[in-house]
Amino acid sequence: MKLNRFFAPTTFTLITLLFFPTALGANPAKSFVAEMGNKAFASLSAKGLSRYEHKIRFRALLSNAFDMPQIARFTLGRYWRIASNEEKTEFTDLFVRFFVQAYSNRFKDLGGKKFVVTQSRAISASQSLVLSEIIIPGKPSIKVNWRVTSKGRQYKVVDVVVEGISMSVTQRDEFVSVIRQTGGKVSGLIRALRKKTKSN
Amino acid sequence: MFRFNPNKKMKSYGILTITLFITCVAAGCATPPSSENKEDLATFKEFNDPYEPFNRTMLDFNLAIDKAVVRPITSVYREAVPDSLKDNVHNFLENLRSPVIFANDLFQGKWQRAGNTLTRFIMNSTIGLLGFNDFATEAGIEKHDEDFGQTLAAWDVDSGPYLVLPLFGPSSSRDAFGLVGDILLDPFTWLAPMEVRLVRTAATTIDKRSQKFDQINDLEENSLDFYSAVRSLYRQKRLDEIRDGAPTANKPVPGSLSDLRRTE
Repeated sequence: MKLNRFFAPTTFTLITLLFFPTALGANPAKSFVAEMGNKAFASLSAKGLSRYEHKIRFRALLSNAFDMPQIARFTLGRYWRIASNEEKTEFTDLFVRFFVQAYSNRFKDLGGKKFVVTQSRAISASQSLVLSEIIIPGKPSIKVNWRVTSKGRQYKVVDVVVEGISMSVTQRDEFVSVIRQTGGKVSGLIRALRKKTKSN
Repeated sequence: MFRFNPNKKMKSYGILTITLFITCVAAGCATPPSSENKEDLATFKEFNDPYEPFNRTMLDFNLAIDKAVVRPITSVYREAVPDSLKDNVHNFLENLRSPVIFANDLFQGKWQRAGNTLTRFIMNSTIGLLGFNDFATEAGIEKHDEDFGQTLAAWDVDSGPYLVLPLFGPSSSRDAFGLVGDILLDPFTWLAPMEVRLVRTAATTIDKRSQKFDQINDLEENSLDFYSAVRSLYRQKRLDEIRDGAPTANKPVPGSLSDLRRTE
């Protein structure tokens, strides 16, 4: 009787900790980024990876860990509201293709580098900023901050800030600029994106 | 040895300003879109680039010089010089910047960073053999940069419109002013003979271009509009430098579309 009263809660706690390590106080946003980073490093730094295979792996990582529709929407800035539904759909699709083409190159040569998640802070009820560093032997480390949003228990990246430069903001500034030059129409940007994603 | 000839320098900046002005008039400054189109007006303000036509011309000019002169020399430098020697050259040139960084640390009241800069300069200039080796970093005293443009920002001077300067590249009216400030703050401006200064400028140009070689190529290849990509990167990079790399949550956040404020 006495024994049972002692063992039952202990067993319960042990089982909880075993299956839900976050109960220990580990930050879920932080572990999400750490896990994603380690996966990306393992996947993209494999030796003898062809350029095509690298791109495929990069795209797979993106669609798993990034909220691409949300990012696409953000990069259209104010013009998202004036775009038609067809334009929104085509833009989102082209954006993913453009993104893979432009950014997969920047995630090459990861060999010998180390990815370390340092801390996490909440910036709103559903968003956290996770700070990390890429450590390169003999060089200053690179600061990479991840803006992570949670929908229930699922986490997705909505922005990556490398040494103070936000990928989403840079892309938005460029896209909005292209729209302005083509007479304030989203169709102008879509045409430019079609051309760009076709050439390579 | 000691040359004190600020007049000549100031005069050339005067000419630069006049040239800027004339080119601006000739190339036509961007006129803000009519106030009826609110969306366009808002982006116009956000980019803070009223001289865009002039700036685009300047970027083309700079790119032409880059393609004709800077990039070919840098390519040879990258291929021909071993990495360790390139690091030595980079360390040496960075060490020469220490007095300017130190002065700007002081101007901003960042005493600890000023102490770091001074310690680094003494260590690297002596046991680092005239700065060719960066032993200070290995000893855990990390490098940081400061310039007079950042000091002006710390003094709450507004960035002013975006500017692309001939040869110097992306800037703003505040940072263009800061550039002149740094030249005046630099003891080498007053102490070193003209030839030495020219060699240093040339070497710094090649070193900097070499450090960013792949990034620039990559951006040129993968951007829809190179000009606006560079403009965005410059604005963000400067804000990051002014904050000394501290992370911020004040940037526009994907997910809050109604809240696309300006970040400056």
